[in-house]
Amino acid sequence: MNMIEKILAKRSGRNKVAPGEVVVCEVDCALLHDLSARSCRLVFENKMGGTIAHPERIVTVFDHQFSSPSEEKAIALQGTREFCYRHGMPLYDCGSGNIHNVAVQMGHIRPGDLVVGSDSHSPVQGVMGTFCASLGNDSYAATVMPHSKAWFRVPETIRVELTGTTRPGTTARDVALWLCSVIGEGKVNYQAIKFCGEYIDSLPLWDRWLFTLMAVDVGAKAAYVEPDKTTLDFCDSLGLAGCEVEKDDPGTTFIADWKWDVSDLEPQICFPPTVGNVAPIRKYAGTPIQYAELGGHGGGRLLDVEMAARVLAKKPKQERVKFNVVPGSRHVFSMAAKSGDVALLHERGATWFPASTGSNQAVNMGAMAAGETMISTHVRNFPGRNGSPKANMFLASALSVAAAATAGKIIDPREFL
Amino acid sequence: MASDASSKDFPTMRGRAWQFGDNVPTDQIVATAVVMSPMEVVLKHVLEELKPEFPGSVRQGDIIVAGDHFGQSSGRGVAAKAIQAAGVACIAAESFARTFLRNCYEIGLPIIECPGAGRLARDGEIVSVDLVSGVVRNETTGATLKARPVEPFLLTMLKAGGIIPLVKKSGPDLGFKDR
Repeated sequence: MNMIEKILAKRSGRNKVAPGEVVVCEVDCALLHDLSARSCRLVFENKMGGTIAHPERIVTVFDHQFSSPSEEKAIALQGTREFCYRHGMPLYDCGSGNIHNVAVQMGHIRPGDLVVGSDSHSPVQGVMGTFCASLGNDSYAATVMPHSKAWFRVPETIRVELTGTTRPGTTARDVALWLCSVIGEGKVNYQAIKFCGEYIDSLPLWDRWLFTLMAVDVGAKAAYVEPDKTTLDFCDSLGLAGCEVEKDDPGTTFIADWKWDVSDLEPQICFPPTVGNVAPIRKYAGTPIQYAELGGHGGGRLLDVEMAARVLAKKPKQERVKFNVVPGSRHVFSMAAKSGDVALLHERGATWFPASTGSNQAVNMGAMAAGETMISTHVRNFPGRNGSPKANMFLASALSVAAAATAGKIIDPREFL
Repeated sequence: MASDASSKDFPTMRGRAWQFGDNVPTDQIVATAVVMSPMEVVLKHVLEELKPEFPGSVRQGDIIVAGDHFGQSSGRGVAAKAIQAAGVACIAAESFARTFLRNCYEIGLPIIECPGAGRLARDGEIVSVDLVSGVVRNETTGATLKARPVEPFLLTMLKAGGIIPLVKKSGPDLGFKDR
């Protein structure tokens, strides 16, 4: 069995599981954000009721709204807040950060555990050596909240090996964007992906993150990186102890083995209208932008802030661009404040926003008018997600986003090396 | 698990077709702006970005036919619920995003994966779907397709009316405990 099959077997009380079987598993942690927590609460209260089996395992992060933008939203947040307090479920309120970053940073994700998430990018947590898949409201209300259980069809797993070393200017985000296009949107529906190889091994945990993050966009149910020294050192830094780490059994086979060399890859950009449209960024050089944003699931890491600070130290923001910086967690802001990057980016023209998921779906910020364009580290670019369906969202690395912010247009970020 | 559901539980559905392309995101089924609104408000906007006439013209028993990866993007449960509340009886698509597929069966909305579904019918043509035999047919043109079999557990859940009725009937292990 591979790592995720072993976790599904362990948590369903079996010795063995095989792809295609349906199993009911014990859930170690369940993640909700402000939008989904409200729907799950309403379904639970209206159709199930009763007690929550393990309230300490149901973790809610208010991340789309760092503050209530309307009375309607305030009422929704108030209802969820009271629900969390009443049942004793952990709540990270407005201003805590992005659901996925907060869950990891606050120690809720442990190697060997089975995690579920309401957000579609929940498979990202497989970076920690967990099994993590997304579930909808009714799974939460019917089995996760009242019984701490969930059903799963055991997925087939594809092994994706990345070799080589990237050139200067090509970041892990560029490789992940490119990989989404070469695998293709929705092409590995219902399956899982194992990311491995010397390139993945060489990356710090927060860069590996970008690969398990993109898995859902190629259709995957789950993704993982086998836990190694990098994972365990990261766990130590969070003070996590006693994890039941799982790894692939020796000789594990996969339904497909795909291998790519990343050595010659240029910086990439994802262009509208969907996430599978990716090209070398030089092909879009010169495209005017009005907004640049570091934030969302694919940005707001400390690494992103550091990259942007290096760029803006060389050249300030172009005066007409609105450059938003949104930390993924309070920890990121704290570290950036201590290093001086908060002041540097502010003084060079960037605007800091509260730790949150930023302009994701324009719930709190980031709506655009028809004809406006943003380049960001977000993960999605579907028309209408950020205001007008006639606005354009480009997705790129923090380096490319910061470079564009200095130029007022998309440029090849290698100018800043 | 063998399903306790049989063909008599799922009579053939017949309805007017609504045709959609590939990679339809849940964001365009129910836009974020109305995600927190009551269902009667959501229903005024369901799928309107792709077909402005859909919210006003959709009728009970209509069938959506679509291309690959229908329901991708956000896992918002309201996307499946709004399609169901609009009266759609079934969706036949080349493939579905997995969270959307799960959400549909968990609320008792049948959907079926069917190669060729994206080009089977134009809006308004009459389509029939037999979940158990997997026969998906354009009754207007006579074109017939064969869908992939539905996972037996999903049929069991569908027969119960969704995951909530199933858990109430079969308990926290959803009927798997005695296997």
